[in-house]
Amino acid sequence: MPEMAVTKGGLVLAELSKLRTLPLAVLAAAGTVVLGAAISAAMAATGLRESAGVVDAVLASVPFAQLGIILLGILPAAHEYAGAQIRTSLTAVPNRMVFLAAKSVAALMAVSLTAVAALGAGLLAAVVTRSATGFTGAGADAGPWALAGAALYLLLTGLLAYTAALLLRHLMPALVVMLALVLLASPLVGAATEHARWLPDRAGSLLYLPDTDPVLSAGTGALVLLGWALVAGMAAAVRFTSRDH
Amino acid sequence: MRTGRFFLAELRKTATLPAAWAGIAVALLGSAAITVLNAFTVRGAVAAGTPGMVADTSAFEAGFAAMPIVGVVGAVVVGVTAIGSEYTADRAESGGARQISTTLAVAPQRLSLFTAKAAVVLTFVALAALLTIPGNIALAQAIIGDAGTETVSAADAVSRSLGTALYWALMGLLAFSITALARSGIIPLIVLIANGSVVSFSLLLSMLTPLAHWLPDLAGRKLFGFPGEFVLEGGLDPVPGAIVMAGWTAVMLVVSGVVFNRRDA
Repeated sequence: MPEMAVTKGGLVLAELSKLRTLPLAVLAAAGTVVLGAAISAAMAATGLRESAGVVDAVLASVPFAQLGIILLGILPAAHEYAGAQIRTSLTAVPNRMVFLAAKSVAALMAVSLTAVAALGAGLLAAVVTRSATGFTGAGADAGPWALAGAALYLLLTGLLAYTAALLLRHLMPALVVMLALVLLASPLVGAATEHARWLPDRAGSLLYLPDTDPVLSAGTGALVLLGWALVAGMAAAVRFTSRDH
Repeated sequence: MRTGRFFLAELRKTATLPAAWAGIAVALLGSAAITVLNAFTVRGAVAAGTPGMVADTSAFEAGFAAMPIVGVVGAVVVGVTAIGSEYTADRAESGGARQISTTLAVAPQRLSLFTAKAAVVLTFVALAALLTIPGNIALAQAIIGDAGTETVSAADAVSRSLGTALYWALMGLLAFSITALARSGIIPLIVLIANGSVVSFSLLLSMLTPLAHWLPDLAGRKLFGFPGEFVLEGGLDPVPGAIVMAGWTAVMLVVSGVVFNRRDA
């Protein structure tokens, strides 16, 4: 029997197929797309009627869509620890850095595909809602770059959730930490002090809401969010390669 | 009497769950952090001679600001954990079983068990409220001291604190019933935490239809008693709102209790 070559591409495909067969991951991805479309439609139908157009409605759905992205980012790391699967995985791929790299690529692919699909579905839903309600946006709508920024924001948020889960190893603690960070710490600290701009989601939100902060721009805001993810990722990588599982 | 014994057993069980204490810690420490930030902002504004920069200089309001968000999340975490933990699967090498099988083998009287668990949630949330609400007001008072002007009367302060404790208790029980129905804490946790924050589904729904004001979380929101200019217009007044919210909670508890009683674990 010819020896099967284990390629890095093969490892990424293996990690992707793990995600595809995980019911909760499929539910999180599908839920994010449906949620993005439903909320964009709701936003297009109501709150933004006076202001501009469909892109603004989609951007207003991003804080909701990120909930699904966070769950999707957490799952690839956390499900390995919901049982003994991590030891099976490391037996199959003993080189931990290679395993981690393949898993990270697969997680990022799942997150970015879902983000783009959610924003696309949101745009479609907003356009349909607008034409159904007979409203034509005449004001200044945010441009397509804001949509690209929103996609990048969702991707980076998914990356942060993934690294947090890798560090914490379990679904529930990672979920509570990420939700508390994004949904609680950010608005509450933001109401009390301007230093809240350095929190990951506040800094990152400049990607799709540019020019809303006097200190950070879209680019530097993205770097701040990326910095959070990299710090968590490095700590997680050190723990992953040096500790028992 | 059976429920009483189950209650003590479930109380001990829940007290050994780190996540239940995490819920209490979120309520206690999270709101303390916000209170400290708020109180120093108020004191700084008064010291700088710009009290107009803050909404008011009341120590009560400074200590109360985190209650509608952080405290609610603490109650939700306790409610979800108390029943969600029963359905978490063990590791494969230790059988992959769920605790609920053991629990029901030991305590087959399901309705008594369910009632006991709900009472445990109530106890934990009451403990969190008892520590958090007066504690934060005292903390704000200590930091602001004489710099602030109290605009909230003692009677108002008491009724708003009690209203808050009631809101937390009802949200904790709602989270408990939803998790009992879902048999998993993941989705209830995401939806309920999101709903308690600025990214609220029911708030969004209230822009589409005024009927959304009858949803449990929006119905009860005036229990916090914030001055009219700081809250969303419309909706139910405190007492009818509390009755609607309590009605939702009662219905959800009955439905989840009946389902818990009838279905396989």
